Amino acid sequence: MQAGSLANLQVIALVAFLLIVALFFGAPLLWLVLSSFDPNASPEFKVPSSPTLSHYLGLNRPIGNATPLRWIVNSIILSAATATLTTLVAVLSAYTLTRHPLRWQKGFITLLVVFRLTPSIVLAVPVMVLLRAVGMLNSYTSLVIVMTALILPFAIMILESYFRAIPVDYEEAAVIDGLSRPEAFLRITLPLAAPGIATVWLLAFVIMWSEFVIPVFILGDPAKYPASVGLWFFFGEHGRVDYGRLSAFSILYSIPAVIVFLVIRKHLERGLAALASR
Amino acid sequence: MSSFTDTLERFAPHLFLFPALLLIALFILIPLVWNLYLSMTNFKLIGPTAREYDIIWLDNYLELVSDETFLRALWNSFLFTIFSAIIGQVVLGLLLALAARASLPDTPIGKAVSVLRTLTLVLVFVSWVIPEVVAGYAWAALTEKGGLASLLLGADYRIYAQHPLGTIIVANIWRGTAFSMILFIAAMEAIPRYIYEAAEIDGATPFQRFRHVILPLLAPAILVDFILITIWTFNVFTQPFIMLREALGKEVLWTIFVYNEAVKLQNPSLAAAAANVMFAVVMAMILAYLAFMRRLERWYYAGR
Repeated sequence: MQAGSLANLQVIALVAFLLIVALFFGAPLLWLVLSSFDPNASPEFKVPSSPTLSHYLGLNRPIGNATPLRWIVNSIILSAATATLTTLVAVLSAYTLTRHPLRWQKGFITLLVVFRLTPSIVLAVPVMVLLRAVGMLNSYTSLVIVMTALILPFAIMILESYFRAIPVDYEEAAVIDGLSRPEAFLRITLPLAAPGIATVWLLAFVIMWSEFVIPVFILGDPAKYPASVGLWFFFGEHGRVDYGRLSAFSILYSIPAVIVFLVIRKHLERGLAALASR
Repeated sequence: MSSFTDTLERFAPHLFLFPALLLIALFILIPLVWNLYLSMTNFKLIGPTAREYDIIWLDNYLELVSDETFLRALWNSFLFTIFSAIIGQVVLGLLLALAARASLPDTPIGKAVSVLRTLTLVLVFVSWVIPEVVAGYAWAALTEKGGLASLLLGADYRIYAQHPLGTIIVANIWRGTAFSMILFIAAMEAIPRYIYEAAEIDGATPFQRFRHVILPLLAPAILVDFILITIWTFNVFTQPFIMLREALGKEVLWTIFVYNEAVKLQNPSLAAAAANVMFAVVMAMILAYLAFMRRLERWYYAGR
């Protein structure tokens, strides 16, 4: 036996623990997968006797005046727009905060933390009433701008740490060598911060992709729903629940979120390690 | 020309911050302040007070204090947070991080256990990253009549309808544990391995090693995790909302109470009052978090 490794009894305890945890966490996920291929899908946990792809192929069959596939497309549009706007605004702010420290900088960052932890349901009610008063409910523009504002505090905080890690000397040297400040920023700092910028874009994308509260308060037309609200609408319909198609839709809708998190996992862990050891 | 660029240099920073400040002011600050005003009116989305509403000052708050549904929702939110976040996620997350860190014997069995461990950690991670609506749907089916949970518990009814609070607590432990796990794994990675080994050579049992070596070094991470997930869990809305569906009572959690008042009962002024009361509670938690982080930072730098 290798030094420092577990004794037999401890291995048995570990295996028992892991098995229980794996079953607890795996069961709902496995049910989603199994039922999405089951022609007679129901809440029952069973392996389909004759698996079918019909639930996946049926995702363009309409529900009300929309189709589940349309909701996925809507989510792609909304998430890409929100991520891009958030990243643009956050890069400007984070760069400024690290290169030109302001007198009220500390207060501003503290405020960002507070906003980052503000529950969206608290903001959803007044935002809905305000947008209604100016006749801007049920609009993608409103939704993208509101979501950008909500994600910004988080995005600025992450990017700020990335820009802080790039020595300002690099830019100064480039300026001495004859580049203008904007050029130095675009050609020196921006490429160095690219991993951080990509992470923020992906994070903003996946936050919008999963968001339910704000779109459900702002959008009223099922044809405009993103996938999150569409799934709720689909599930909440009266009468028999179409488990097979709902599960197939859930899986299709979950895959991008899982991929994005796998891509940014390393950055996420780094951020959490910083948080834990600060 | 040069005075123009000078001025530009001086004001550019403020200019670059302007879009962020504008967005945050318009969609976070103003709504928060406006919520205070809204909560002191009798504005409704339909009916006579939709067009012409009056200032009723604190009447909405007085109504809340005597509203049994709201008080029950508040109490449920506290129970939900204590059991799901503090007892469930912190403890399970810590156990999983310890399991992830354990070194396995270099035998075929050890390798098999390692595969099982990786699979388990992946499942925990996936439960956390899939969209919340999907998590709610899967758990609704699991606790539906005939679902796996009903089967295991021998219950011939909808578990989520019979025991809504218990069901959403268990479902939220499933949903949220990964965050604590990842945070603890990251924090443990920062502890040098020789410290464990030194304790082991000195003859400390695994429990002693955990109690006297790992736990004290992990204390800051545990506190950060504890405060953050307390705030997040207290604010949880989507998964319980999807699981229990609208048919169920609004007394389940304070967030569901706010949604129902605002959207279903078309009474945003009372919803705003409830949201303000809860925001004050959340704000107190955030301030505690900030004060704690500051103290931690001071302690950390003083120790260098």
